[in-house]
Amino acid sequence: MASYKAPLRDMRFVLYELHNGAALTQLPGLEDMTQELIDPVIEEAAKVCEEVLFPLNRSGDEEGCRWDNGMVRTPKGFIEAYRLFREGGWTGIACDPAYGGQGVPHTVNVVVEEMICSANLSFGLYPGLTHGAYKALYTHGTEALKERYLHKLVDGIWSGTMCLTEPHCGTDLGLSRTKAVPQDDGSYRLSGTKIFISAGEHDLTENIIHFVLARLPDAPKGIKGISLFLVPKFLVNDDGSLGARNGVSCGAIEHKMGIKASATCVLNFDDAKAWLVGEPHKGMRAMFTMMNDERLAVGLQGLGLAEVSYQGAVAYARERLQGRSLSGAKYPDKPADPIIVHPDIRRMLLTMRTTAEGCRALAGWVAQAVDVQNHSTDPKAKRDAEDFVALMTPIVKALFTDLGFEATNLGIQVMGGHGYIREHGMEQYIRDARIAQIYEGTNGVQALDLVGRKLGAHTGRFLRQFFHPVADFITAHADNKALERYVDPLTKAFVRLQQATGQLARVGLSRPEEAGAAASEYLRLFGLVALAYQWARMAEVSLAKLEQKTGEDDFYRAKLSTASFFMDKVLPQTGSLFASIMAGGATMMEFPEAAF
Amino acid sequence: MITKVAVIGAGVMGAGIAAHVANAGVPVLLLDIVPPGAANRNAIAAGAIEKMLKAEPAPFMSKAASRLVTPGNTEDDLEKLVDCDWIIEAVIERLDIKQALYRRIDAVRKPGSVVSSNTSTIPLAALLDGMSDSFARDFCITHFFNPPRYMRLLEVVSGPKTRPEAVASVSHFADYALGKSVVTCKDRPGFIANRLGVYWLQVAVIEAIDAGLTVEEADATLSKPIGVPKTGVFGLLDLVGLDLMPHINASMASALPPADPFHGANRELPLIGRMIAEGYTGRKGKGGFYRLNREGGGKVKEAISLTTGDYRPERKAELELPKKFKDLLSADSKASRYAWKVMARTLSYAAMLVPEVVDDIASVDEAMRLGYAWKFGPFELIDQLGADWFAARLEADGLPVPGLLRTAQGRSFYRVEEGQRQRLGTDGGYHSVVRPEGVLWLEDIKRTRQPLLKNGSAALWDIGDGVACFEFTSKLNTIDQDIMTLLGKTLKVVGKDFKALVIYNEGSNFSAGANLGLALFALNIAAWPILEQTVAGGQATYKAVKYAPFPVVGAPSGMALGGGCEILLHCDAVQAHAESYIGLVECGVGLVPAWGGCKEMLQRWKTLGRLPNGPMPAVIKVFETISTATVAKSAAEAKELLFLRPTDGITMNRYRLLADAKAKALELARDYVPPQEGEWILPGEGAAVGMRMAAESFHRRGLATKHDLVVSSLLAEVLSGGDADVTRPLKEDEVLELERSRFMTLLHNADTIARIEHVLETGKPLRN
Repeated sequence: MASYKAPLRDMRFVLYELHNGAALTQLPGLEDMTQELIDPVIEEAAKVCEEVLFPLNRSGDEEGCRWDNGMVRTPKGFIEAYRLFREGGWTGIACDPAYGGQGVPHTVNVVVEEMICSANLSFGLYPGLTHGAYKALYTHGTEALKERYLHKLVDGIWSGTMCLTEPHCGTDLGLSRTKAVPQDDGSYRLSGTKIFISAGEHDLTENIIHFVLARLPDAPKGIKGISLFLVPKFLVNDDGSLGARNGVSCGAIEHKMGIKASATCVLNFDDAKAWLVGEPHKGMRAMFTMMNDERLAVGLQGLGLAEVSYQGAVAYARERLQGRSLSGAKYPDKPADPIIVHPDIRRMLLTMRTTAEGCRALAGWVAQAVDVQNHSTDPKAKRDAEDFVALMTPIVKALFTDLGFEATNLGIQVMGGHGYIREHGMEQYIRDARIAQIYEGTNGVQALDLVGRKLGAHTGRFLRQFFHPVADFITAHADNKALERYVDPLTKAFVRLQQATGQLARVGLSRPEEAGAAASEYLRLFGLVALAYQWARMAEVSLAKLEQKTGEDDFYRAKLSTASFFMDKVLPQTGSLFASIMAGGATMMEFPEAAF
Repeated sequence: MITKVAVIGAGVMGAGIAAHVANAGVPVLLLDIVPPGAANRNAIAAGAIEKMLKAEPAPFMSKAASRLVTPGNTEDDLEKLVDCDWIIEAVIERLDIKQALYRRIDAVRKPGSVVSSNTSTIPLAALLDGMSDSFARDFCITHFFNPPRYMRLLEVVSGPKTRPEAVASVSHFADYALGKSVVTCKDRPGFIANRLGVYWLQVAVIEAIDAGLTVEEADATLSKPIGVPKTGVFGLLDLVGLDLMPHINASMASALPPADPFHGANRELPLIGRMIAEGYTGRKGKGGFYRLNREGGGKVKEAISLTTGDYRPERKAELELPKKFKDLLSADSKASRYAWKVMARTLSYAAMLVPEVVDDIASVDEAMRLGYAWKFGPFELIDQLGADWFAARLEADGLPVPGLLRTAQGRSFYRVEEGQRQRLGTDGGYHSVVRPEGVLWLEDIKRTRQPLLKNGSAALWDIGDGVACFEFTSKLNTIDQDIMTLLGKTLKVVGKDFKALVIYNEGSNFSAGANLGLALFALNIAAWPILEQTVAGGQATYKAVKYAPFPVVGAPSGMALGGGCEILLHCDAVQAHAESYIGLVECGVGLVPAWGGCKEMLQRWKTLGRLPNGPMPAVIKVFETISTATVAKSAAEAKELLFLRPTDGITMNRYRLLADAKAKALELARDYVPPQEGEWILPGEGAAVGMRMAAESFHRRGLATKHDLVVSSLLAEVLSGGDADVTRPLKEDEVLELERSRFMTLLHNADTIARIEHVLETGKPLRN
């Protein structure tokens, strides 16, 4: 049966042993965030996820959301679970204490989010979207708007949405038609239709605050004419109490492959009262503040699902008895050996494991930069961190969700027919994982963002934040015999990445389609090298810990073995990716359109 | 033969012309009136020379040139005109004063000397009215542009009585000695460039006001998108001085016939009147359409509002400007409508000026390119639109279509026929565009043949008589791997099939140096081995240039910086355009020259520097030059700094550079023997300590930054020979190895990276 135990030991490893979480307390505003304070937080989060959210995952999937004349009902148990979640303070865990949040570092938030995604992705989307809305308002809103809305968004008694997509435009938001007309009192009247709005309507919160992209009457054409508006479901009186229902209604919910307990809504805005957030026509900038956060968060969905799928697959592989080991029976007393003895099962399990642990480590590195970016007062450190986060955001989003999807697929394969039927819950993971490759900018768009915007920005300045640490690491360990096993493959893959990067920079300038043709493969190559660096670092830390005889030899030995598996069995993919990138895009682009 | 010149009138133009004659190495007498009650009767001319020595951009190419100008006054020194072959009048634009002066000149000048006026507004016929025939025979107008050293246009107008030899002699001197392009014009108001340019500016100003554009919007539109310098129109007016506008407009208005379109654009503008009255005459005054507001100790760039006349902070124009001229004029936007209105009238006006002002369109284009620094002349711009498209659009807008545009119907103003560029004549036929005698222009050669070698950054051409020409074609002619590769191949081809090689191009700058963008990108992805290979490969290629079995002549014009300077240092000889700005600027971006720049400069100062004995003096000289990233502001100055050898040639006329370089190459090719590899005797570590101490004292005095110390300290290591000792001479490759290792050390330095990044992002150096 499906089960989930939060991987707390590995999370602590990432937080404190791999990435030196203690350094976070040097940042202004995070002085109190010591391990003594953080450990109970993640332990408590694990409890909520394991005991409250995970048990609702499959029932929520079976039941789904129901639309009834504009109202949306979440599956049984969600209201109660959300109340517990909110009362536990989890909605405001990463928010500013000035608005009632707990202000924990992003590094810690990432760990908590991963657990929520493992336990119940659909549920996690409700508070997840609220956090994006919080971020947009917090960064771009006026004091008056912030005062009126932020407290209750942080508290979770209200929730939030991001309304971007319209029936005729998703990726190309420049085509948006939703209109906002200024009123004498400084507010606006907003009309139009938005689709695919997660948490657009539901019964978990008293009010829903929509953040909507729309055009002002004098707006320039295209993406430079989009503004961001706040539209509450219920108008809010000056005393904070709820007033009349605003002109926004849910016309329908989508029937979809996965995340069935998450309400994906069609929202109709009909002369809805709205308030401008940020400057006129600068809506995309404001939206990107939350979109970048959301993209990192979506990456964690891939990670969370890989982890929970791995746990299910391992449990099954230990119990399921089929056939004998190829080298002779391992459990002669039993009618057959458990399938975990078989090489191909091990291949699949270890692949899943490298995804979960590798992505967790990489997420920790990026999250730490987010903390520096948000809290540091040193302009140089801040800019470096911003560069790094900008560079890694599309990689985290696309790599984690692609690998996460592949892992959930392997999870089914390990279990054979029992993975395919609904009873064990394994097939839900792959259905839930599928959307993460699509929303918040498809993974193809992430790849274009990486090669088009991030690669060449400031003559490659963003790249420096990744390439220099890796190059320095390689140089520093050039003569380290014990680490050679990890550093050598890393070096080989890193040189491939350097060459592919140089190639894209060269051809991409004169022939953008060449860069576009290589983008997805380049992102995967980059991602694998980033994981390899994390694995080499994990190996470095583990070797040192074994040296220190901490009494946790099994943990560190397993780490080293997983690292070796990654270097031997996963990283070589960089060779084929490299060959494909260097082959160029002519075969795709010269193919006659009519021949498709 | 013109061997001595006089300029009368030491205002901005007169003094500038005198300075430029001196730049050509010709002695010049500069006269002005005696100021009332002055102790020094030459005070005006002497003061003008004094002022020019401090002016930027510098009117003189060297200190030595300034000593060729002798100041004087028109009362005591007039008889000295007897020695002068050419007397240039550049006094105030008043007919009576000019004529009175001519009579006095005529009384003393030697027979056959030429007298010319630099007038821009008075017709030649008026100037000669009542003057003797003998004077008229030796008289013409020579109209220089400001500043005379830098603007390459000279408009020459001769009268019906002017001796052809008089004009020929002045034109020849202007061409070869002063480096000017001589355009012969008819005696019409404003000649060519100002006639069209003043009209263009006036139309641009009134249309901007009428369409409600800001000055930033107008300048953003009428600059880069149409191939005009970034000053646009309002910025240009600030530069030339707003107070000149009413004068010029008035003189044009009085001289032009009533039917001339100029009158339709000549409207009095109260805003400009007020600005002049309040002293806002442009950069020379309190500011103009733009100003720097220093109130409250700050420095705020401001622009004037054309509607209210108040200053407000400068705002970058937010316009969508298509890249192609035709797209700009076709689009439906505020900027496009404005561009169309201004350029439609301007280009039509240009078409009306042929044959009124000059008989051929090529002269109009040349005048606007060289007199107003337009990238394309008006007829080249019409060709970009298509003459028919332009005529149809004019008709659609109810604007008159000039006759010349009708003549061009169905055709273009220029065409290329069998490699020869031809222009459309007023007779409806095509005529070859002929270069002045002896000019060799690569662009012309390129039309007639295929390159011998070519890649994305360079090409090799056969320029005849056994000489090949290596051309940079990369962006800003920066030097990259492709250039090095092709240069390597070039040496093989030339060694086999040619007598000599010239390195030359027709970009506005010879080379801005190594492609820093590529280097920064490689650095950002930590591609250290590739970077080191780039340095080593460049060193090897430049060294191969130096020891090639045939002569190599470098022929720079404009900037030759960093790697662009280093390639010149490895040539057997250089023939430089006078306006060459050569320097090793690597330290400015936190690096040291590493393509042999340090090595060659050490050797030059050692052998050519006329310094005291011992290895130290040369090392110190080179350290001073390189550590301060000194750039020579002329070819003459480059000789002083030994970026050029005393034997290297200087060509004044940009058009004649390639021919001179080719001649030099052929001269060297006779009995050519490649240089012998030398040795470097360097003083070692002790000397480095000394240089470091000097740098530290600069730092203490605030003249060197923290990172300057780091850079100059590594430079000192290279120049002193690392841990060399005086008794063991270093081989060439050992010095190169020193350059390379220190360069790589600096590439890893965060402060150097910050400098490179800053210069690429802002175009300005970072003083960290």
